[in-house]
Amino acid sequence: MVIAPLRRKVLRDLGRLWPQVLAIALVLAAGVATMILGNGAYASLSETRARYYADYRFADVFADLTRAPLALLGDVAAIDGVLQAEARIVKLGRPEFPDMVEPASILLVSLPVNPDAGLNRLHLRQGRLPEPLASDEIVVSEGFAAAHRLQPGTTVPVVMNGKRRDLVVTGIALSPEFIYALGPGEMMPDPRRFGIAWLPRATLEAAYDLDGAFSNLVLRLAPGASETRVIEALDRLTAPYGGLGATGRSEQTSHAFLDAELKQLGAMVKVLPPIFLLVAAMLLHMTLSRLVALEREQIGLLKALGYRPGSIAGHYLEFVLCIAVIGCLIGFVAGAWLGAGMAQLYARFFSFPFLVFTRDPQIYVLAAAITVAAATGGALQTVRAVLRLAPAVAMAPPAPADFRRRTGWAARLVPLRQTGRMIARHLLRWPMRSLSSIMGVAMAVAILVASLWSFGSIDHMIDITFSRAERQDVRIAFVGAEPASAVQDVRRMPGVMAAEPFRVVGARLSHGARSKRLAIEGRPADARLSRALSPDLVPMAMPGAGLILSEALAKALDVARGDLVTVEFLEGRRSLSHLPVSGISVGYVGLGAAMEIGALNRVMGEGALISGVNVSLDPAGQDAFFAAARQAPKTGFMNVTDLTVSRFRQTLAENITVMITVYVTLAGIIAVGVVYNFSRIALSEQGRELASLRVLGFTQAEVSGVILGELAVVVLVAQPLGWLIGHGIGLAMVAAFSSDLYRVPFVMGREVYATASLIVIAAALLSAIAVRGRINRLDMIAVLKTRE
Amino acid sequence: MPDDPDIVIRASGLTKVYRNGPVEVHALRGVDFAAVRGEFVVILGPSGSGKSTFLNILGGLDSASAGRVQFRDHDLTELDERGLTQYRRDHVGFVFQFYNLVPSLTALENVALVTEIARNPMNPADALDLVGLSARQDHFPAQLSGGEQQRVAIARAIAKRPELLFCDEPTGALDSTTGVRVLEALTEVNRAIGATTLVITHNAAIREIADRTLRFADGRIVETTVNTTRKRPDQVSW
Repeated sequence: MVIAPLRRKVLRDLGRLWPQVLAIALVLAAGVATMILGNGAYASLSETRARYYADYRFADVFADLTRAPLALLGDVAAIDGVLQAEARIVKLGRPEFPDMVEPASILLVSLPVNPDAGLNRLHLRQGRLPEPLASDEIVVSEGFAAAHRLQPGTTVPVVMNGKRRDLVVTGIALSPEFIYALGPGEMMPDPRRFGIAWLPRATLEAAYDLDGAFSNLVLRLAPGASETRVIEALDRLTAPYGGLGATGRSEQTSHAFLDAELKQLGAMVKVLPPIFLLVAAMLLHMTLSRLVALEREQIGLLKALGYRPGSIAGHYLEFVLCIAVIGCLIGFVAGAWLGAGMAQLYARFFSFPFLVFTRDPQIYVLAAAITVAAATGGALQTVRAVLRLAPAVAMAPPAPADFRRRTGWAARLVPLRQTGRMIARHLLRWPMRSLSSIMGVAMAVAILVASLWSFGSIDHMIDITFSRAERQDVRIAFVGAEPASAVQDVRRMPGVMAAEPFRVVGARLSHGARSKRLAIEGRPADARLSRALSPDLVPMAMPGAGLILSEALAKALDVARGDLVTVEFLEGRRSLSHLPVSGISVGYVGLGAAMEIGALNRVMGEGALISGVNVSLDPAGQDAFFAAARQAPKTGFMNVTDLTVSRFRQTLAENITVMITVYVTLAGIIAVGVVYNFSRIALSEQGRELASLRVLGFTQAEVSGVILGELAVVVLVAQPLGWLIGHGIGLAMVAAFSSDLYRVPFVMGREVYATASLIVIAAALLSAIAVRGRINRLDMIAVLKTRE
Repeated sequence: MPDDPDIVIRASGLTKVYRNGPVEVHALRGVDFAAVRGEFVVILGPSGSGKSTFLNILGGLDSASAGRVQFRDHDLTELDERGLTQYRRDHVGFVFQFYNLVPSLTALENVALVTEIARNPMNPADALDLVGLSARQDHFPAQLSGGEQQRVAIARAIAKRPELLFCDEPTGALDSTTGVRVLEALTEVNRAIGATTLVITHNAAIREIADRTLRFADGRIVETTVNTTRKRPDQVSW
């Protein structure tokens, strides 16, 4: 067994170089962990969703309408491509909890006669479904039940169509339709203020005067059926009954938010692991090259002794593979642990009856294979050099490092002291190594820049949306359209300081082949509460006739100011108009289109109607206002800006610590790994020179300055590069994450760069301190006597 | 000689014991020594006789277990790490067996490395001139022969105008002809700047160029020879 001593050497090398080995293994582990976490979470989320959808027959097409006779269902089911159609009554009610001052709403959904055969089947967590003939029984969504401590048997007073009913909870359930349960007009799920209740249709028929009629359709399509064609056919059928236009899953709120989450995960998997693996490959290359340079004579000796070049090259490859294995193992554990944490986060955010956290061995095998490939890739050049080294050449001492080429111009950097020249020339002597170390540190900065900017951007988004655009304290949406005089009723409520009406009309906007379904909002010309803002954040006056579109919508429709868009109103007379785009406004949530309320009402031709009122409140009168607003029969639901914002911030705050910890750790691992390895190698190469300088009377600080000076150059040059790369990643993220649901403003402030740099510089300083200890312990006596 | 005001360095009762686990190695066993300004001393002795330890302690690189070392009226044995560094920086020049030039600096820059931190240095070019290497001042170590590198090292050691110049086997890595060139450089700078020069060597031929030769054995000076007439380096060979 000739190989055994070499294998022992591998183990000893690993032990001897353990800090460097660990630093590299951690960078690899970060790559493996993010790969497993990202892929695992992606697979977990998409598989969970897919299985949930399949098992519980999640519908493919959704449509709301005002009122249609049940007889229409037969026609709907007969549309080519429709596998199953279900007519439901879906209405918004208002729960009344004695301990709750702020407004809440509950979505009331009728249950099919045979719930097991229906679409969007419920997953009962507790209790049972209501008896079909029981008029006061409901099943409530789990989050809502938990937020209000509802149990089977608890009574919930719900105002339905202005009448208060006491409903008894018989069960607690989940539905694939509300995995992400977002209340109307809200930005984040808040299970305290929004829940879902399922109840026999008879109860809803009676409450909403919908005997033999329905207000909502859900459809399942046959495999391969064209969603577009079905929707077109369905819209034709429902139009006479107040159909608001059907949508596919992609516009179903819960589904779309899950899609956005999956999109983000997919982006993370594409960006993070490659960064870590590249940096690790570079570190391995650096470390192995130095190891081989130091062991040149041993390699020559081994070859002279008759070891085959292959075995010797294999020995170094084994060293690298051991590091890869250590990295994989740490990465597996960290990835699995983080994955479990991510699953918990999902469980809190999304309502799934089960979570498939795939511990798919394929992901692990793939991660290991990629890691080993990256590590081997990093080692390849050095291993080839080992193969090529002739024994006689290897056993002679290496020629002194030749600084003539490449570095000559550095001598012309006149103001440098000699130690400065040493730093400059050493960096320039190995430009690839210096550059790749700079890139490595820059990546650490970039990861931070690309993650930290989002916080400022969210603040910006909140500031713009709620301090400048939507300045009302409360937005009351009526159950249906009301005469314009309704604003006077609201104005008379206690605590109201200002009230402005709005009108919301569902419409389909199209321009050429592009079309979007959304709600056009009519506002007073001189609105002071809910306003449109121009891109330079100046409030825009509502134009006399045209539309103001949000940037996102203008982009989606590919229109600019002055273009004409076709507006097909989905309510009232369902008229078709061609309206000019009078302006483009900023907006981060949803697709927005606004008009002057009078102009909108003129186009609609139904007289002066309003859908609700925006209100600014005297804080002292808030509770009295809520009480009065709740009592008003017109009130559909209310959005309270403070609650929306605080819920938004609270949800972010819950994730922010986790996110910051994860990204700072990841960046720290890269920064420490690169800086530590770089300085250890610089020290290994220059240790003898530095010890000589100590003998010549240089102080410890002066000698450390040579290595730390090199480090400082690498770390400092890396900063602007890191800012630039991080900025680029941030821009790519904005593009990747933007959807019809929300857009993220790109706000990159100096404080983001500063924070990222400070964190990376702190990590670099820690590594520098570790290396400084070694510099201080340089053996001065040895250099007098020994050759390198 | 004990009270000679020209005495630059003096050691008395110098003892050094290395502990290697349970084993005690006595590298120096009570060495007394003094050298005057400008003196050229050659130290001979077999490996392990204590001559390098002696030079290291005098040079402020190592500390004695017992005894005293005085540089002029300063007691080296009382100095801490910082004080010893300052002592080396201001007063001592070293020449190494393997030159130990900084490969990333040219000959001139290697010399300037030291003059930049010295109190009263020579012009680096003058120091190189003194060892006959003016023409090679812009060459990097990789472009210089071993002998040339060693002469740059000597120029670097003396450019600060040290009172003491310590050389450990300065010709050990060189052939005879090149070695002679290096010795010429050493005697030349010894004469020019008046530095007290201590040269460790295995090469007995070199003693003939010295004022005084010490022979070390078993941690002691066992023989001191004073040359009444010094030979020139080109008169010796090995």
